[in-house]
Amino acid sequence: MVREFELPDVGEGVAEGELLRWRVAPGDAVSEDQPVAEVETDKAVVDVPSPVDGVVEELRAAEGETVPVGDVIIVFRVEGEDEPDGTETPADDATADSGHQTDDEAPTQPAEETQSEPAVTQHVQVAASPSVRRLARELGVDISSIADSSPGRITESDVRAYANTDSHSSTQAQSNQRTAAAKQQKQQATSTQSVSPVQARKTADRETTVAVPKTRHVAAEEGVDLDNIPTDERKDGEPFVTLEAVREYAEAQQQAQKKDQEAVAERAAADEPARPESRTPYNGIRQTIGAAMTESKYTAPHVTHQDEVDVTALVDARSTLRQEAEEHDIRLTYMPFVMKACAAALQENPQVNISLDEANEEIVEKEYYNIGVATATDAGLLVPVVEDVDAKGLLEVASETNEKTQRARERSLSPEEMRGGTFTISNIGGIGGEYGTPIINQPESAILALGEIKKKPRVVEADGEETIEPRHVMTLSLSFDHRVLDGADAARFTNSIQKYLRNPNLLLLE
Amino acid sequence: MVVGDVTTSTDVLVIGAGPGGYVAAIRAAQLGLDVTLVEKGAYGGACLNRGCIPSKALLNGSDLASEAGQAEELGIYADPTVALDEMMSWKDGIVDQLTSGIEQLCTAAGVNLLKGTAEFAAENKIRIVHQGEGQGSESLKFDHCIIATGSRPIEIPGFDFDDEPIVSSAGALNFETVPAELVIVGAGYIGMELATVYSRLGSDVSVIETLEQALPGYQEDVASIVRQRAARLGVDFHFGYTADSWAESDGEAVLTAVPADEAAHDSDIELTADKILVAVGRRPVTDTLGIEAAGVETDAQGFIPTDSRCRTNKEHIFAVGDVAGEPMLAHKGSKEGEVAAEVIAGEPAAVDYRALPAAVFTDPEIGTVGLTEHEAANEGITPVTGEFQFQASGRALTANRTEGFVRIVAAKETERVIGAQIVGPEASELIAEIAAMIEMGAKLQDIGSTVHTHPTLSEAVMEAAQNARGKAIHRQN
Repeated sequence: MVREFELPDVGEGVAEGELLRWRVAPGDAVSEDQPVAEVETDKAVVDVPSPVDGVVEELRAAEGETVPVGDVIIVFRVEGEDEPDGTETPADDATADSGHQTDDEAPTQPAEETQSEPAVTQHVQVAASPSVRRLARELGVDISSIADSSPGRITESDVRAYANTDSHSSTQAQSNQRTAAAKQQKQQATSTQSVSPVQARKTADRETTVAVPKTRHVAAEEGVDLDNIPTDERKDGEPFVTLEAVREYAEAQQQAQKKDQEAVAERAAADEPARPESRTPYNGIRQTIGAAMTESKYTAPHVTHQDEVDVTALVDARSTLRQEAEEHDIRLTYMPFVMKACAAALQENPQVNISLDEANEEIVEKEYYNIGVATATDAGLLVPVVEDVDAKGLLEVASETNEKTQRARERSLSPEEMRGGTFTISNIGGIGGEYGTPIINQPESAILALGEIKKKPRVVEADGEETIEPRHVMTLSLSFDHRVLDGADAARFTNSIQKYLRNPNLLLLE
Repeated sequence: MVVGDVTTSTDVLVIGAGPGGYVAAIRAAQLGLDVTLVEKGAYGGACLNRGCIPSKALLNGSDLASEAGQAEELGIYADPTVALDEMMSWKDGIVDQLTSGIEQLCTAAGVNLLKGTAEFAAENKIRIVHQGEGQGSESLKFDHCIIATGSRPIEIPGFDFDDEPIVSSAGALNFETVPAELVIVGAGYIGMELATVYSRLGSDVSVIETLEQALPGYQEDVASIVRQRAARLGVDFHFGYTADSWAESDGEAVLTAVPADEAAHDSDIELTADKILVAVGRRPVTDTLGIEAAGVETDAQGFIPTDSRCRTNKEHIFAVGDVAGEPMLAHKGSKEGEVAAEVIAGEPAAVDYRALPAAVFTDPEIGTVGLTEHEAANEGITPVTGEFQFQASGRALTANRTEGFVRIVAAKETERVIGAQIVGPEASELIAEIAAMIEMGAKLQDIGSTVHTHPTLSEAVMEAAQNARGKAIHRQN
């Protein structure tokens, strides 16, 4: 009796699959559940098991062919009319044996306990040690494909040689990648893609090669490695390379190199004319800043709390005090006010003036108030630190800040002068913009970005009457480390800053 | 952004700390992953607590007692007294040492240990119910999960495991006294091992088996050596009978067994017992896991189908050990645990061992690996076999243990070793050499040409390999 077998749905709702490999040949006896073919879907490579005990009559699909689910792929002759003994020896012994030579698989446990676990039982007849089989997987090589051409014991160098010549390796490696973790994927991709056309050309990569002295001499002259020259000849059991083979190989190598060069030249010629662009090295301070920013951004969960504050009173206060300051040769900007306001707010909200000591798993609460001022320089962002802002007068803070930011621009700050901060202020408003997401200057746990002070219409309440007036408004963007601070902490702290900026007279009490 | 209930998370969640789970956890931690291991009972799983280790301890204890009492031939006259409670506490000491060792290994590797029962809440989330009233529960998010929940003994209708007098294998490893009459339902390897233990300790052991053979799954000539030896120890076999019911009568349990095939046996039998051990097999523990919530599929028997990378139908969920299907062997679980951990870490691991050895610790022992002659023929491989009887082994004679043989199976054409069956002294140890040879793709000559120590039992392996090539020295080829 003849039984046609259709490609089953080998995965969840898979519509078609590529028939990678037949594991049986016409004439082979098969038992139920014995894998007969390997089919690759977009999800996995799966073994298709035989539905019956019988003999393979005909294979209806070719290796490499994409077959829709439901198409007949194989025809079995099942026990009956002309097969008195069903699964007994097939007619053509030789075919059956050679088929089994490489494809056979053996259950690894007593028969009745056998499960259809494809890879547990795959390739039992491939003679290779476990370390070699692992290497094959690492290089994305199907070891049974090597066994198809090398009936002996598969060695490490067989696998390496095959990996370098096999066009399958990249697809196989890709399927490996799907199973690997993301970072590993990247590495594998790099390693498989870096195989250049020259490497991919047929080379042997043996460990030892026998040749007569003259052959060795010519090989040295031509600059080819004897171990790389393919040969079927053997002498005393070792691979043997002739003079002709060396000349042929050297010639082929030269041709190939020439072709590669031409191809490169062609590509270069075909390229569009270059767009004007220039490159500068990413190094030095830029790189240091980059590393620090990346580190901060990806270790501390940043959350940015945003608010605005009416600083009309501050604008007045500053314009009054500016004259005073100039008499002391001090340029008074808004920054010293904000620094003092922050120091006061930090005193009111000590939970913000902290750092996280991850190594010791401790939260460190600081009882000093060193405020950093993010300063844009030609080289990049630098943060000079003004120490003990709480203990210094406004003009003192102004003078020290001016002096340090100036030296930052001149690149004459010492590293010590940029360390030890407990909180940082960044002034994006100087250049423009309202809100931003500053990145915390670790190990601090919060940073404040100031927006531009702009005149905006605001509702003002005076003597129970509400009017709309033009007011000076500044925006605040406070990023904080959500590991150690909560949203409520950030809001409270921002409220404190607002209080001092709205009413700078309060700073006099500080 | 408001931080409320913090859900903890982990790279790899391993459910079950048996030989599959704890190995997976340690390997994953070694590979730099953040690993959480959940166990509802004792570390070590069935193997350490209710299987391999305690049973082997009792097998060794009962062996000593039995050997000492039957060594007149060697000029030794002894009448050992067995204090079972002391043997049990010796055994419990070993179990405690090993289970606490596992806990320490896990901790040292940086594995987070959690006590409780795991239940999937979603594809990436699990609820862990802590033990004890009011201990509460917690939720854990995971990137990857390895299910290693193992298996439990199958109960048959009318025979609930209540320990009085019906016990599972776990109960039989904790008897306080040696039962005078022990009835064992099932002549598989668990039944046969415990029949060995208690018959050597002096129990009157009867075994009921539905099939007509002890140790179904092993070749007749292998199983019959063990059966004959058990019969000589005094074990009564009732093949072709199925345990039907039991009742209490005069303070004893009376078990009624009915013929499995009425044509073969025409009447029921009744057996009296102090204890009835039901050992008819084990089934995977997948029914209490809420596995549907994770979308993991199981087959009709409750096993979780996996691919060669121990993956379930869900890309990020793996299953290893007994839950992942037969054979239920601790070393299979451990190997799969390693593979799952390495796959998660991005290594190109796969389950591709070619030979999975198995051992039965009866008297004498059985060790098997790879294919039998018959299986090879079914696979289309023309087999060639070689044998060596322990009767002809000097070492076996001096150990006074001459039952059994080594049989090696190879592919005739290539002479590549593809399997072995050993029944006899130290079979469980001897089988390891052949497993290694199969893994390395060795030929008969590779074993035959390897110099083996004399006088040892391992010489029998060498001789069997040589016999297959017609070149054995100590037997006719």
